[in-house]
Amino acid sequence: MEQLFQTIYSGILYGSVYGLMALGLTLIWGSLRMLNLAHGSLYLVGGYLAWTIIDQLHLPLVLAFLLAVAGAALVGLIMQVVLINPLLGKPGWDNASLIATVGASIVLESAALLIYGPQVKQMPTVVEGQFKIGTVLISNQALLVIATAVLFLILMSLFLRISRHGLAIRAISQDMDAARLAGVPARTAFLIVMCISAALAGLAGVLLSSIFYLAPTSGFVPMVKALVVTIFGGLGSVKGTIWAAYTIGLLEAALQVYLGASWALPGLFLFMIVMLTVRPNGLFGLGEARRL
Amino acid sequence: MLQVHDLQAGYGGSQVLHSISLHVEDGEAVVILGPNGHGKTTLLRAISGLIHPTAGRVELNGRAITRLEPEAIVAAGIIHIPQGDLLFPEMTVMENLLMGAYRSAAWRERNNKLAQVFRLFPRLAERKNQLARSLSGGERRMLALGRGLMGEARLLMIDEPSLGLAPLVIEQVYETIHEIKRTGMALLLMDENANHITGLADRVYLLEAGVLVREGTADELLGDAALLSAYLG
Amino acid sequence: MIQDQRLSQQEATATLPRLQRSAIPWANPNWLVIGVVVVLALLLPWVTLRLAGGRFITHLIITFFVWGIVTQCWNLIMGVSGIYSFGQMALYAVGGWTTGILALHFGWNPLISIWLAPIAAAIAALIIGLPTLRLRGVYVVLLTLAFHELLRNYVVNGPTIISGGGYGLRDVPKLGFDQFGGGWEILLYYYFGLTLFGIATYAIWRILHSPIGLAFRALRDSEDYAVSRGVDRFRFKLFLFAFSAFFTGLAGGFMTHYQGAASPSLLSFGVIINLLAMIVLGGWGTFWGPIVGTAILTVLPEVLRSAEAYRNLTLGIVLALIAVLAPRGLVPLLAQAVRNLRQRLRKPEAPR
Repeated sequence: MEQLFQTIYSGILYGSVYGLMALGLTLIWGSLRMLNLAHGSLYLVGGYLAWTIIDQLHLPLVLAFLLAVAGAALVGLIMQVVLINPLLGKPGWDNASLIATVGASIVLESAALLIYGPQVKQMPTVVEGQFKIGTVLISNQALLVIATAVLFLILMSLFLRISRHGLAIRAISQDMDAARLAGVPARTAFLIVMCISAALAGLAGVLLSSIFYLAPTSGFVPMVKALVVTIFGGLGSVKGTIWAAYTIGLLEAALQVYLGASWALPGLFLFMIVMLTVRPNGLFGLGEARRL
Repeated sequence: MLQVHDLQAGYGGSQVLHSISLHVEDGEAVVILGPNGHGKTTLLRAISGLIHPTAGRVELNGRAITRLEPEAIVAAGIIHIPQGDLLFPEMTVMENLLMGAYRSAAWRERNNKLAQVFRLFPRLAERKNQLARSLSGGERRMLALGRGLMGEARLLMIDEPSLGLAPLVIEQVYETIHEIKRTGMALLLMDENANHITGLADRVYLLEAGVLVREGTADELLGDAALLSAYLG
Repeated sequence: MIQDQRLSQQEATATLPRLQRSAIPWANPNWLVIGVVVVLALLLPWVTLRLAGGRFITHLIITFFVWGIVTQCWNLIMGVSGIYSFGQMALYAVGGWTTGILALHFGWNPLISIWLAPIAAAIAALIIGLPTLRLRGVYVVLLTLAFHELLRNYVVNGPTIISGGGYGLRDVPKLGFDQFGGGWEILLYYYFGLTLFGIATYAIWRILHSPIGLAFRALRDSEDYAVSRGVDRFRFKLFLFAFSAFFTGLAGGFMTHYQGAASPSLLSFGVIINLLAMIVLGGWGTFWGPIVGTAILTVLPEVLRSAEAYRNLTLGIVLALIAVLAPRGLVPLLAQAVRNLRQRLRKPEAPR
């Protein structure tokens, strides 16, 4: 019984944060048709910026977090303008964008290693304290993380559904030509999507490192899990991605609780392999897998 | 109003349009007839900015709009309703229409425009929360037209409004286009056959193999028996 | 009146050698060039071993042979055939571990067990390929990454016979060349490595110019057309995947016995990035690209030893710059430059 509760609690925690990261990835895939392998390093940017602002500038925590998220968005913007825009519309987009984002991720991660060193950093928490329900330890910070993540997921969903620019972003991912004919400026829209996506990754970085830790290698695994979520939910589908995030989060928590931590990642991967073989479009995919 | 001078355009290495010159005046309905694959769609795409012409000029009321990005052309008041509708499949009818008013000037007026469009297309009002991909062929065409109307255009360019529709539906579509013309909108229409353009078209061009081979008033061209037999389906 | 456009007998015959050369290039190889290269390659170690630090230089060349095989194989499936697999090092590890375990724990003679490495890797490739290769681009990336991670997890956390407690295989029997004495040992490894490299390179070259290779370039450039002409994507992809795994596993096996160890760090993302950089730098999808890229990136880091910490950073910047400025890599860039030069030299004779 307690294991179940631990599973649900951890599952919701993971799912919320994965949702943030996966949402960014799926937005970029939907509009740019690009697999952003630098996403994990944007997570790092968020975390390290927050740590630096708190540690060096001693600004209040919440302000530091907000600045860090903005900083991640800025890095995403620079990456888009310098690396991605030159490749738009040229042949060999798949290769070139893959390599460009891989290059960017290496640069960011080695920069983090050079500047901050390989030791893990501990992020101070906004709220202190924890309590137990049975033997399950619940920290207040974790609850805050969940609340923040869920809040932003809801805000993003509303943005995409109701606002003019959210509508435009959805339009681009459904039919690029039609969107342009409706007057949506393609390059600007891509830039906005990248900034939003980077901000979401940065936010995930800030949130997760406040309850675990931060190291230069911290970005890779969340990004891979976000990729799993994105694929499972269907590339380009926002609703599917959010559902998938919590499903995967619960699955990982269950694997951890019942089989042990070392089984979590392999288990997830096995699940993904099986799922892609059986249902290549994911839950709500927009028909991208195209079987032979 | 719209002046096209010696436009040349193509894809990759192949040139599709050879020195096209035409014009559309305020409130005029100009129809371009021609067989499929001869450049009609390319012409519209070159004007609306989806592709860039390799040579020639496009002017709107004296202002050069050649090689501008599509969003600038839309802002200038030219709206291209593409062949095959190109709807947003996962959006509702309402959302598709709202996208038509994306441009900030049009967005402010969107409620008025929506009322106008729903008046013109009551079927769309009935289905306003339905996903676009679940609509019938005729309804999609109406949605495409409605979306185009939402953009506060001065010139509507419509590519093959009769494509893939049953004869009865085509009649309705053209009736609506007549109504649109009556509001004073300038129209540039492309079609493969000439069945419905009597009474609608002020002038007609003939586009074959990327070249405008004939030009004249509707009466002139439609009085030509040889032409009629070639272009009436 | 229709003009007779057909070639005269003379003209037709005159075009023959050029046609033949492009269609079956191995029928008329440039023996002189090949001969010179082979002789140079055979004599090279005799020169390098006499230099100061010659051992190390020779070691570098052997490293180049091993990674050169792996990058060529990876390029064959990724750059030429568009299979975005990130499982290359997993297959390398399968090869290396197979022969390592057989030699270390089961007492096999390494000179025999090494030949099981490519077979094991090819089988692993078939297993991975069956579910994966039916899917498109980005899904292949993910699934192969997944297989890679699964293998890495197993190698690190699995039974001690494989994981060596997380340190991998250690004290793996070498190929028995040490009985000949110090100087000879490394020489023999050099020749063994050279032979493997030569065979692999030749095999890949033949495949690239065979109907299969052409089919693949057709698939990469225009999938629908190729399929309509009867190219069975899946079977071809599976074959190439297994072929690429075969030589990669062989390289892994050789390296395991050369170093006497197989470390889980081989499965770190850093190694994948390095290999990717070699292919991208040299020329993605070309024949010479991976060879040139591997050569550069094997030598350069050693030259810039002092800047070890900055190496990854530089690598990342290089990758990003190449993606933007020269997405096709160095070799095509140079080829283009040579072509431009030739054109400029030819111009004065062109008729006005």
